[in-house]
Parts: sequence; structure tokens; C-alpha cells
Amino acid sequence: MSDNCYANELVPAIAKVFKIVDETPDIKTFFVSLPDGTKPFTPQPGQLGMVSLLHIGEAMFSVTAQGETHLEFAIKKCGLLTDALHEIKPGQMIGVRGPYGNGFPIERCLGKDLLFIGGGIGLAPVRSLITYCLGQRDDFGTLDIIYGARSIADLCFKEDLFSNWPRHERTKVHVTVDQGDPDCSCHIGFVPAFLEKINPDPQDKMVILCGPPIMIKFCLEVLTKIGYQDEQIITTLEMRMKCGIGKCGRCNIGSKFVCLDGPVFSMADLKNLPGEF
Amino acid sequence: MNAIQIKMREVAGQLLSLGEVDRVIGWEKGRFAHQSPPAFITDETKVERLIWDEYCLTGTAKYLLDDPYRAGKTGLFARGCDARAINRLIQDGQVKRENIVIIGICCTGMSDSVSRQMAAKCCDCTHPTPVVYDLMIGEPVKPVAKPERFKAVAELEQKAAQEKSEYWTRQFAKCIRCYACRNICPACNCRECFADQYRVGWLGKQHHTAENQVFGLTRAYHIADRCIECGECARVCPVGIPLMELNRKLIKDIQQLFGDYHAGVDSETAPPLGRYSLDDMEEFM
Amino acid sequence: MHILAKANLIEAIERLVKEFKVLVPMQYDGVSRFSVWGSHGMQAFNASNTLLPPKDSLFPRTETLYAYQVANQEITGVTVRDQAEHQIIFGIRPCDMQSIHCLDDVFLTKGYADSYYHSKREKLLTVCIGCTKSEPTCFCESMGINPAGHSGADIQMNDLGSGYRVVAQSQSGQEIVEKWKDLLSQGQEEVVAASCTLKVDMNGVPEMLATLFEHSLWQEVSRKCIGCGTCTYLCPTCHCFDMDIQNQGNQGTRFRCWDSCMFSDYSRMAGGHDPRPSKSERLRNRFLHKLQFFSERYGKSLCVGCGRCLIKCPVHVDITLLIDQVRKEAAHV
Repeated sequence: MSDNCYANELVPAIAKVFKIVDETPDIKTFFVSLPDGTKPFTPQPGQLGMVSLLHIGEAMFSVTAQGETHLEFAIKKCGLLTDALHEIKPGQMIGVRGPYGNGFPIERCLGKDLLFIGGGIGLAPVRSLITYCLGQRDDFGTLDIIYGARSIADLCFKEDLFSNWPRHERTKVHVTVDQGDPDCSCHIGFVPAFLEKINPDPQDKMVILCGPPIMIKFCLEVLTKIGYQDEQIITTLEMRMKCGIGKCGRCNIGSKFVCLDGPVFSMADLKNLPGEF
Repeated sequence: MNAIQIKMREVAGQLLSLGEVDRVIGWEKGRFAHQSPPAFITDETKVERLIWDEYCLTGTAKYLLDDPYRAGKTGLFARGCDARAINRLIQDGQVKRENIVIIGICCTGMSDSVSRQMAAKCCDCTHPTPVVYDLMIGEPVKPVAKPERFKAVAELEQKAAQEKSEYWTRQFAKCIRCYACRNICPACNCRECFADQYRVGWLGKQHHTAENQVFGLTRAYHIADRCIECGECARVCPVGIPLMELNRKLIKDIQQLFGDYHAGVDSETAPPLGRYSLDDMEEFM
Repeated sequence: MHILAKANLIEAIERLVKEFKVLVPMQYDGVSRFSVWGSHGMQAFNASNTLLPPKDSLFPRTETLYAYQVANQEITGVTVRDQAEHQIIFGIRPCDMQSIHCLDDVFLTKGYADSYYHSKREKLLTVCIGCTKSEPTCFCESMGINPAGHSGADIQMNDLGSGYRVVAQSQSGQEIVEKWKDLLSQGQEEVVAASCTLKVDMNGVPEMLATLFEHSLWQEVSRKCIGCGTCTYLCPTCHCFDMDIQNQGNQGTRFRCWDSCMFSDYSRMAGGHDPRPSKSERLRNRFLHKLQFFSERYGKSLCVGCGRCLIKCPVHVDITLLIDQVRKEAAHV
């Protein structure tokens, strides 16, 4: 029943989940198309989509990737809706609406070297931008991707990390895990310490940082120490959202709404806002 | 200046300066003459803010729950209703007696901020003198039985079921679900109220009469044998739902079923629904 | 000027009820609010302000957004519910009229127009009655509002004693006044307007607040707050809402309903993180939204000085005292 497709901005389109990939024990990627085989909407990298099981609930997620005819959402199991989403099987219909939010400021990244720092499910929003940059490879300088998770099993998008991304020219992937066997192939340690060890040169670089708040906090300290300016650092925020269109009120940080004015903010933007996130 | 107020400031100043408490909770003047909201004083030089007048309506005890793990002791000004509220919280395991210095005040009743007559909650007060205290200000007054406080309930009981249902439906149609009644109530001390457990689904968030009634009636039942009759719920209700009629109906029933019981008069006697006795009536089972 | 004699007021309203749902200030069961003409209660045209604000005529307490059917966990249909009827709010006061302007900014601007609000707003007519007396808690003048009237209303009326001066301020207002032609007389009388006794100085307050985010005054002011939703639900401009579902067997509805930023679960996320975990952060957010954030975003104050929260806050948390205190503290920063 896609005849209701966007009857208005609060009504979802009904779409089909045609494929589900287990990323980690608690993260799955859902591949979504409209019943007529088209894409529900075309987001910019970093934009958001509202995903719902109509009889359970609705929540905002970043769009992890998109193809010609589909969207992908990588979703971690952590509440009523996400628990239920993890139970569904390919073929089931869900609700989607969007795109929402500002997305990454691509024009500010053009011609620059890019440093992506992700932790856990925080790679999900960043991945949309990495994919974009790899698609327009000549528009960007070097790409460095630093990614960490609790364990090898908790690493998302393993095929991208270990196979797809490193194949591209001027692209390096640095993976770390909090704990692991001494003989495991990746680095062991937390992301901030790993970042300090890699010590990426701030010259002509933009940083895209996304992960749990505690990781962000310590990574910022390291980045500042290395010599990065606030304007060079971009991050995404999460707040509880209901409407997605800046009306329901709850995702405000000062006079900004994360659903409209975010979720992407530079550190320079955030310094001008109350620290309530 | 009235004698109670002079004494309040003196006692608060002493307790704070001797370090026996690190804050006192009493009342201060609001913007308008008929407003005397709660005051929180941590500095002995600020005790002049404390006042005692006929508009000190708000209960003080519930504020003890705001930071239950704070290290220091609190000096709490307590009238009869506040003292019963303290017993309520002690008995429910919410606060420790040793963390509170209770400064009892013998209260002669407050005035309604609109009608300027004796406040409804004070008209029905049976224990104007604090039932528990460390220090006492004023002349103690004996408890009064006040059987007339059940008059409205008795009148309602006379009505036909249909009429009663219509009456309460009309009342709860007004409810705006602000939860002021719950938040001010010393018997409502659950760490998480059933009404906030949206994900469990006891209660929908919709604002309509049916959900309002589920909230109001469930709350009334949950405090049935623990309501200390401070009347704060009815006082704070912005739309004037006579919530004490509901509470008193349950108190009256409990007294009929389990004998005379006055919640919060001491902190030892367990509430009737919280104890089991072989002599309990079984007629309702 | 056009004058509508008070004796003709009922006839004037009766002429509208065929085309419009006419909402008038009514007192019923101890609560005053805008109710449909003819419903239970006493008309309260002479009282200064209704206890409940008129916002629910545009932004209902609970509003169904759409219905859905589910079979075997599969969605089988979605039906959108968005029906609006022609409404008139008759007797709205200038402060509440201004509150509708605030709601218009929220629901109709910044990239998205909320269609549920929009369809109702398009079919709404407002008849504003200027205030001839003010309550001790009224402070609309300090918020830049004229107690005599509001230019945003379709019709502006002013109480002259025996009648009302009637001024159409829009095309649709003019059409209504046409319908009243034979009820109106011509005359010249002086319009009396109330003056607020409660005054606050709002000059520079948004900028001052921007410097006081971390100030201890928020801890202090919030101590007595009991975290109820009285202020938000009686406020004519508070517009936060929740969205949730109600399932009944194989079908259900998604609705939105009023929510309050004073409630503990308001901004708590799945997983437990809450950026405003205690009442001081929540109260700060509410007051800053009223006095700073909204003016930064939309260029006007979200407090219209109606005084409802001053009257009904169970513990007298008072936005006017807060403004005074902000001025005092900002002078020390």
C-alpha cells in the first residue's frame, strides 16, 4: 500500500525490508525499498530517516548507505522498537519517512584530506560519507578511517573495513578493538589512544568524528593536542526525537533542533551551544 | 512579626550555625501577598527569608525525596500534616529519621489563596500538632476527630451508581494530566510511577477521560491506606478535581473493613493493606 | 465606528453557528475555557482570561494522525486522518492572540508546515476582545503586547460598556461584519484599555540569559519545582508533543498528544541517556525556551504574559520573579 506515500510529513511510506545483514551480535543492517522497487527517498550523506513498525513505534536513524533503488539502515538493538526490528524477517513491511536533518557539509570537505573516526555503531552515519567520497574519489585528498569497537565480533561493516575500502587509492583503514586475543590481526586499545599513536597531521584536513559520548570527549582532547582547530572537526549528535521536522520540541540544544539543524555539527558550532546533549 | 516566625528564624539560624543541619526547608514570601512557597536555606545569614503566615500551604516533607542520598542533615519545618508525611516517608523506607531534624510547628490552619477563607485541607485537619518532632514551636493542640470530613463521601454514597459514575467521569474529563497531585503527594513515592512506564503500557499518554480515570483511580487505590490526608492533591489540582473525596471514600472503607487507622500518625503501625491478619474480613473476596 | 450593542451579542454569534464551530469563553465545573457555543456552562465574556488556553482548537490535546491495519505482523493499510472544520474563537484576548502567532511560527515555518495544524489554521477565524481590566498576574504589556487589541485578529472588538466597538482587520473578518450589518450602529466612543500593574523589564533579557546558562540560579529556582506539567499545559504557547500508538486487535492509530518538558521521561533516550536528567536542567530549558531560544529562532518571546502559570503553579515558581533575578545576576556577571 504505497498509495499513502508521504500523505503528509508525519505519515510514513510503507516499504519492504528485502534483505537483512547481521553486522555484529547486536547490530543488523536493513535494506529497504518501496513495494514498486523504488527508493523511498534520496538522502545526502549524514541525513536521517524515521523508521517504524507501525504497531510498535518509530525512531530516527542515520541512513547508512543507499543504492539506486534502496536505503540501508544499520540499527543497534537497544530499546522497544529496535528489539522488535531485530526480530523481523526479510520481506516484512516497515514504515519509513525522510530525509531529515542537514547532512555532512561536503563542500567544506572538497579537496581536503579526510580523517574519519568512528566507534561502535558510530560508523553507521560516517559510512554514508565514506561511500560518497570513494564514489567521487578525485574530489578528495587522502582518506584515513580510524575505527574501533569492543571486540572483533562487534566490528560493523567488516567487508568494507577489511576488503572494500582499503582497495581504493590513497585510502587507509586503521582498526582497533578494546579487547582481543593477542594474536588477533588488529590493534588492541581504545580509539583515543590509537588516534594519538597514529598522530594524523592536521594540515589541510577535516575530521569526521562519531561514536559514543565518552569516545568523542577523549578524541577531542587528543585532536586538540595534535593541533586541530574546532572548525576542522565535524561530529553528529543524537537526541530523542518524535516528529523529525522541528515541531515536537524535544531535540533542542539551545535554539537549535538536532532533527533540522543537525545531526551534523562542527565543534565550532557546538561551542556556541549549551552543552546539553 | 509573629512569634512563630521569630522562633523559626532563631531555630534555623542556630541549627545552621552549629552545623547540626546544612539546610532548612520552610516557607518564604512569593511575589503576591497570598503566596508563601517553600524556601530552601543553606546559609545562616539568609534565615530572614523564612516566614510564617496564613498562606504557608505547601507541604515540606516531599522535598526530602529530591536528593535522597545527600550527605548532610535537613532541618524540616513541619506542621501536623508535614509530620505525618515524614512518618509516611520513613515507613515507606524513603528517608531515614536520623537525617532529619524536625522542627514542629503547632498550626492553626492556613487560608485558601483565592477565597481567603480557611483552606479546605485545613478545615478537615485532624492533627494540627506534629506527631513527630525534635523541637517544637507553639502551643500543642489536641487531635480532633472531625467525622464531618466524610460528609461529602456519605452524600456521594447515597447516589445511584449511574449518578456516581457520571459525577466522576465529569471530574476526570477536566483532568489535564499534569500529575501535580502525584508529584506533591508524600504517599506517591514510587521510584518510577506506573503512569510513567509508557513502554509497559499500563496507561496511554492520550489526554482523554478514559485514560485520565485510569490514572486517577489507580493512584487513589495505590495510596488508599497510606494517604495521610494532607489534602495537597486537591489543593494543587489546577482544574479543581475533588481528589480528597476519592481518597476519603477509600479511607472510610478501610476503616470499616479493618478498624480505625490513621496513616502517618506513627511510623510503626503497618498500613492495613500492608499487613495480614487471620481476623481480616473476607466478605469482599 | 461600528458598535455592536451587548443586547445583540447573542444574535451576532447565533448567525455564525451554521457555518462555524463557534468557541466562546465559558465557565463550567470550576474551569473556564473556550467551549462550543451552546455547550454546558456560563458565558464568560467579562472574565479576563480563561484558565485553559485556546491552543487546543489548533493543536488538540490528543490528535489522531493516521490509522493502520496489521495482519500477521504485516501492515495492510494506512489511512490518514486530517479533518478540519471552520472555527471561530470568539472573545480571545490579546495575549492568547499573540500565542497563536507563536504557534504559527512553530508549526508553519522553518522548512516544514505541519499539515494537521495548517488545515485547522486556514479555517480559523479570530475575534479578539481587548481587555478593559487586568488581573494582578497579567503582564502582557511587558511582553510587548497591547491589552487593547491585537492586529493579527480577524475582528477586533472593544468593550465600551453597553456595546462593543467592532473593527474588521482582514477580508474574512470583513465578511463576518457584513453578516452583522443590521445589528451594528454607528457612534463615537472612547476605547478604554487595561494597563498591567505587574511589570517586568524584558529589555536585553535574551542576551543576559545567554550568559547565565551555567549560573547557580537555576538550581536555586528549581528547588521548589515539583516537576508537574501545570505550567506547560496551561501555557498558551507551550507546544511540545509526543507521538505514540494505540493498538486494538488488528488495527491501531498513531496519535500525537501534548507533552511537557517538565516530565522526567521527556528527553530520555532508548538506552537511558538523558541530556536533561534533573529538574534544574528541565526548568532551565523551559524558561530559556520561553525567553531566549525562541526569540533567537523566531524573533519573538514565547512568553505572552498571560499569567496563567503565576496563578496555578502549585509552588509559585514565577517567571516574572525569574526575569527580575536574571537582570540582577546579569549585572554581577
